[in-house]
Amino acid sequence: MRKLFFYVPLALFLLLTVFLLSGLFSDPRERESASLNKALPEFALADLMQPQHIWTPEQLHGETFLLNVWGTWCPTCNAELGYLTELRKQGVKIVGLYYELPRDPTFDAPFSLKALQQDVAQKLQQNGDPYQFNILDLERRLSLDLGVSGAPETFLIDSNGIVRAHHIGDINPQIWRAKLAPLYQQWSQP
Amino acid sequence: MIVEAGQLALTFAFALSLLLAIIPLYGSFVANQRMLLLAKPLALGQFLFCLLAMLALIYAFRTNDFTVVNVAQNSSSTLPWYYQITASFGSHEGSMLLWVLMLAGWTALVAQFSKALPLLLLGRILGIMGVICVGFIAFSLFMSNPFERSLPFFPVEGRDLNPLLQDFGMILHPPTLYMGYVGFAVAFAFAIAALMGGRFDSVWARWVRPWALAAWLFLTLGIMLGSWWAYNELGWGGWWFWDPVENASFMPWLAGTALIHSLAVTEKRGTFKSWTVLLALAAFALSLVGAFLVRSGVLVSVHSFATDPGRGMYLLVFLLLVVGGSLLLYGMRMNSVRSQARYQLFSREMMLWGNNIFLLTACLIVFLGTLFPLFHKELGLGSISIGEPFFNQMFYYLTIPFALMLGLGPWVRWKQQQFTPLVKPLGLILVAALILALGVLASMQSVQANLALLGMLLGAWVGVSALAEVMLRMRQFGSVTQGLTKLNASHYGMTLAHIGFAVLVIGVAMTKTYTEERDVRMQEGDTATLAGYQFTLVDVYDLDGPNYGGQAAELDVRKDGRYVTHLHAEKRFYRIQRTIMTEAAVHARLSRDLYVSLGEELPGNAWALRIQVKPFVRWIWLGGLLMSLGALLALADKRYRRKTPPATKQEVANA
Repeated sequence: MRKLFFYVPLALFLLLTVFLLSGLFSDPRERESASLNKALPEFALADLMQPQHIWTPEQLHGETFLLNVWGTWCPTCNAELGYLTELRKQGVKIVGLYYELPRDPTFDAPFSLKALQQDVAQKLQQNGDPYQFNILDLERRLSLDLGVSGAPETFLIDSNGIVRAHHIGDINPQIWRAKLAPLYQQWSQP
Repeated sequence: MIVEAGQLALTFAFALSLLLAIIPLYGSFVANQRMLLLAKPLALGQFLFCLLAMLALIYAFRTNDFTVVNVAQNSSSTLPWYYQITASFGSHEGSMLLWVLMLAGWTALVAQFSKALPLLLLGRILGIMGVICVGFIAFSLFMSNPFERSLPFFPVEGRDLNPLLQDFGMILHPPTLYMGYVGFAVAFAFAIAALMGGRFDSVWARWVRPWALAAWLFLTLGIMLGSWWAYNELGWGGWWFWDPVENASFMPWLAGTALIHSLAVTEKRGTFKSWTVLLALAAFALSLVGAFLVRSGVLVSVHSFATDPGRGMYLLVFLLLVVGGSLLLYGMRMNSVRSQARYQLFSREMMLWGNNIFLLTACLIVFLGTLFPLFHKELGLGSISIGEPFFNQMFYYLTIPFALMLGLGPWVRWKQQQFTPLVKPLGLILVAALILALGVLASMQSVQANLALLGMLLGAWVGVSALAEVMLRMRQFGSVTQGLTKLNASHYGMTLAHIGFAVLVIGVAMTKTYTEERDVRMQEGDTATLAGYQFTLVDVYDLDGPNYGGQAAELDVRKDGRYVTHLHAEKRFYRIQRTIMTEAAVHARLSRDLYVSLGEELPGNAWALRIQVKPFVRWIWLGGLLMSLGALLALADKRYRRKTPPATKQEVANA
């Protein structure tokens, strides 16, 4: 018995290496989304360009679409605009969820919708406009409810308003082909 | 040309490390003295070639040779010359070469300064160091070559060094930290050599102690410098973040601290043997696990290197061979080693045993806190994250009994201690600590009972007790002046390191409690008041640095109308990397830091500034510095340099 005692460190170490090995082959950034296979959370948010229009989840039913969380302040989001625009041309419906950064009342200038609209219009003109429309999430409540951890992130929403996929990071041709396109096909079948 | 010479030098170093890993170890089993004697020149040669390789890399950086991928990605021609040198270890590839150089350096040091060691043992130690060198040099050479060229197409300008790394702290932090990490390889090699030979006695412990102490010294300094660097460079006044990479350096430190204490028991009393050996293995194993975590991309961290599963796989296999192999050997050999010493429940042995329990609990907490998200996810339980509150709370609860025991420990004799003789001195120390703590707190602007009082009390208890103990020991030699010279250096080292810990605890508790912070909007001429200091914004102007632009703010600080100091805070924009860096203005005093960082420009010619007054924050690094100095003093102890006659041929044959 006493003899076996001295092998305990080895056993513990081997157990650790099993975890390290499996950790090596899984993406640390990938995380299970809490919103998966649930209906979109309730919201009533203004359209970014036509703020008098208020979007609610029911208005989004009827068609499978991508909900792309983005912001002009996010370089990766700006970079993926080009490819997303290509997808739009192929007939993929993409809705933007504009993620506005939190503001420090003493450090930052007060929020101005006009300035933001100009900024967004300019970015979309430069890089391509993939969006049917943009929903402005000024208080980041919807983003929080969806479990957004940063930008860009993209959700696949089916025609009944159920979240079917949550992709963290940018969408490029490779990721679209390997991960999102099959899901998009699957969920857009009537 | 020089770059190719560097590549060649690294290849030679690899060849020598292979020979070093094979010949002396083989020689030790067939009792061939000539093979054993080869260990030393091989070790020195290996170091020489690693040094040449590093110099070649530095040369490539200094001459802006952008055909070298590493240079193109981490340097630029506008980078100041001293940062061009440090950029040579700013990337994964370069830092790996530095790691290799340090490892070869320690091997050479062991070869050079171990005349007292029996030839057989030295040959085995150097051979094991050689095995580790083979693994890391091969990794550097084949998996992350710092000399890789991008010919025929190469950029005309480099991408510049990450601005975060363009700081004085960055010149010192990585080399010291790596010296510490890698230094534990020596204690590791000593432990393996002893496992092979089956000899663990106080002589063995006395041989390992200075090496463990030296590694611990560097690791302590390295961690301290890293914390200081983060404080100056990240711009918001934090000094420890419980980031996975920080934790990766903290774990070997905790195990190493336990090791240097456990070694004391093994040297003085010949007991705790299996425990000490396990700690010697663990300290280096944790360094290796740390290297794996940082460089494989298993954990996401602010400062982990670019991820590459191939590299991760290599390091994991290496880890499995080295650590798994050594623990297997431990399991096979250790059960024949017995410790005979007897001691009572209240004795120095038990105090040090308690010390080890607390340090290892702390190490386990850091380990689990760092890796639990990984375990959780790999078991399919979903993602979680463990942050600062968990670690802070755990260390809060651990520090209290640990510090209480630390104040008591040095008073307790080996074998057995009666409780009654200690009551009077310890009672007096407790009263003195209480007066001291309340006195300091009364001088603060507000008395906050909780954390500050506890921290001050614990710190004063440890500090006063350490001082009183050393005074008492001096008096045992007659007069204080006589005692001053009689007491050995390692005793002073211990006292100094314990006082360092006290200073650290006080610093942490006071900073946490009394830091004041304000975000303000200021125009030129405006004054903001915080903690009795008036900060006046005198001027904001444009900056023009070698590889950055930006703005600088000049502030005057007054207290009760009296001029205190002038502060200069910068907000730099690094042109090539297109990143903004905050260079905080810090006015440091032992009792407090004034810390100002410049924020965004606001409409109406105004600026956002973050002003902080942080009492006692210096004490955190001062504590670390005192601990390292303590280790240095202990290293100077004469008994580590006493010579024993070299091994005869007969001994070698008998082994």
